[in-house]
Amino acid sequence: MNISIEKKKFIDAVYKVARFAERKSATLPALSSILIIVSDEGIKMRATNLETGIDLTVEGTRVSDGVVAIPATLLQQIAASLTLDGTVTLEHSGDIVSLSSGMGRSSIKTVPYEDFPSIPFPENPKNSITLPGALLRTLLSSLTSCTSNSTVRPELASIYLSIEGGVLTAVATDSFRLAEKKIPLTNKGTQGKLLIPAKNAVEIAQALPDEDIAVSFDDHHCAFIGSMGTIVSRLTNATYPDYRQIIPKESLAEAVVLRKDFEISLKQTAIFSDIFQKVNIRFDPKKNHISFFAHNTDLGESSETIPAHVNGSMLDLSFNYRYLSAALALSQSESISLSAAGPGRPLIIRGVGDASLLYLVSPMNQ
Amino acid sequence: MDRKNPRELWEYVLTQVELSISPANFNTWFRNSFIVKIDDEGVVYIGVPSQFFKDWYLKKFHALLLKIVRGISYEFRNIEYLIVKDDRRKVVKESKPVRGVIELPLHEFYINKSDNLNPRYTFDTFIVGSFNALAHTAAQATLQRPGISYNPLFIYGATGRGKTHLIQAIGNQFKKQYPGRKAFYLTSEKFAVDYTDSVQAGTANRFKDKYRQYDLLIMDDVQFLSKKEKTQEELFHLFNALYDTNKQIVFSSDRPPVAIPDITERLKGRLASGMAVDIGEPDTESRMAIIKKKAAAHGIMLSDEVVEYVACSITGSIRELEGMVNTIICHAQVKGSPPDIAEIRQSLRSFMRPQKNVSVKNVVDKVAEFYGIDEESIYEKTRRREVVRPRQVIMYLLREDFNISYPTIGTKLGGRDHTTVIHSCEKIKREVVVDTELAKEIQNIRTLLV
Repeated sequence: MNISIEKKKFIDAVYKVARFAERKSATLPALSSILIIVSDEGIKMRATNLETGIDLTVEGTRVSDGVVAIPATLLQQIAASLTLDGTVTLEHSGDIVSLSSGMGRSSIKTVPYEDFPSIPFPENPKNSITLPGALLRTLLSSLTSCTSNSTVRPELASIYLSIEGGVLTAVATDSFRLAEKKIPLTNKGTQGKLLIPAKNAVEIAQALPDEDIAVSFDDHHCAFIGSMGTIVSRLTNATYPDYRQIIPKESLAEAVVLRKDFEISLKQTAIFSDIFQKVNIRFDPKKNHISFFAHNTDLGESSETIPAHVNGSMLDLSFNYRYLSAALALSQSESISLSAAGPGRPLIIRGVGDASLLYLVSPMNQ
Repeated sequence: MDRKNPRELWEYVLTQVELSISPANFNTWFRNSFIVKIDDEGVVYIGVPSQFFKDWYLKKFHALLLKIVRGISYEFRNIEYLIVKDDRRKVVKESKPVRGVIELPLHEFYINKSDNLNPRYTFDTFIVGSFNALAHTAAQATLQRPGISYNPLFIYGATGRGKTHLIQAIGNQFKKQYPGRKAFYLTSEKFAVDYTDSVQAGTANRFKDKYRQYDLLIMDDVQFLSKKEKTQEELFHLFNALYDTNKQIVFSSDRPPVAIPDITERLKGRLASGMAVDIGEPDTESRMAIIKKKAAAHGIMLSDEVVEYVACSITGSIRELEGMVNTIICHAQVKGSPPDIAEIRQSLRSFMRPQKNVSVKNVVDKVAEFYGIDEESIYEKTRRREVVRPRQVIMYLLREDFNISYPTIGTKLGGRDHTTVIHSCEKIKREVVVDTELAKEIQNIRTLLV
């Protein structure tokens, strides 16, 4: 094997691929390596941790073909130390790969690649949708923060994607709050449901390019295919709870506020929240404002009032402020609407003029 | 092995696979898999976590697995791979059997600062036997009418007999019975130190006031006041002050008031002026009761056999007995079950007095040397006074320390009758109590013999 790659592309590729390699050292050495395949199909870099895997196509000059596996952390360290201009040449002889860039030259011991598992690419997937990579990337990365960290319920530690009637609905919840985003699709025929483990979604989002991506899936795994190559992930094999049941149909109080106002007041009040991060919100329809209040026995207390358009009746609710601020990251709208179903019942946050988002957060006990 | 039992079959397969592939491979690929079912057609379904595994199994391990199952029986026709639901391969957490962990509670060591009393010592935990019945009754009577019935109450007995327990129990009971009245416990050594400190700091008056305010004063181990004349004088005054105002005083010591050496006569008289009771050596039944109660307090039931063994193996000190029981309890907690007699023997070996195997000749030599007489004369039939006494001491030591039978001692020491030996032993035993000189001699000889 003998290849040369532009340094910038090499660094970029190594960073993307290395994330998919196994980080625990106790397993197979091949799993913590990057496999470089040079053949008629071009230069490819592969890595997998058996949960998710990547097969990335890298642009470069191909002198001779071959396969080699190199420890991922080592390649990552090398990539971090390279300057941006010029090219990197990799030459393989025996069990040594010599990597030369500019004036430098290093010999790297390779790992036996026979143990490197095959990455299961769906050959003729039943279902496939196409959507812009940039959109998918923000969708996955913003929703992962709303999933549960615990692995006790694997379905809650996953992002739920449901494709129906030309709309992709993505949902994440950790049972305290729930985020739902809807994205219209171009091809309307496909239907299906998939549960992507949140842990994998983070890695996938990092590696996705901006251009259109085809997402194909079957019962057990899914693939993200684009010009850059293929990323596969195992799917969580569980049933997602019927979350629609918990969304309240009616509302007792509704408020529309400027997103900026909401963000600033929440931030300032949150300073005085207690160990439970509790912030109280009062809907006041008479004075047409909503007020934030937080009390901490050690620090003191704080209240903030912002003008709002309030309908319905007076209502007091308490929330974990972090669950409230998380909603802001999901919508870009100038104003947001809050609708509360009553004391002890969840609050729904939407972006005004942005029908795609629904964010539901459960109140804390008073 | 039951061929139809998926679990057993899989375990067998794993042992075979482990031999043929590398440990890293085995851990990566086989840790999370299992046989889901075996159908009637002879197809074995192996459950794997994801597509990665399914592909790799088909590619790499299919032939191997098939060979292994076929090796067991030709009934197995094929192997299929299934991707199983996440919750089905959840690792079953190993649940450790929660042992009845009985920690040594810290409050056992807790001491009340204001009165120095340890709340652990109460009458509830005090075991009354014939050896301490009198002392217990006296203590109860004192509590009925403090300062009037028996004032002072003087309790004496050898170390580890429960003196401290009894007098502290008086203090704790007093607090309970007469809330609002003040009790105070201290050792005579603490009293002496306190006094010296106050003299040094020039606050002797405050010292006097401090001790005069108590309604019940308990002083432990007064024998240590011997030779401390000024402290004795201070105690004398304190005694008078308390006694005159009908405040109860309780003393403890390892010997009767009259036997405390180097203590002024007027104090000696006052110590003996109330009630002086002794606590004797606990009998076997009492020791058994103590062991049972101690063990029960820690939630452990010991068999009668064990209790009897422990009670018989230590005589005298209850403190040593407690130590033994604690050892047993500790062993029981570590092992999770009460130990049996064999284990007890093993674990209590360290508590046993070392079995000394010293020849009679050796003892005779040492004693003769100690008294500066010819060792031959010990064996002779002479009745010279300087020989008789050492001879009796030898008999006493052989009997007491080495448990040699009376007839044997007699035969070894020149063919004497065993009644002679018995008489000698009894005589020395009697004398050693009153004759401190003799006691000191025997103590010295014992150190020579070790």
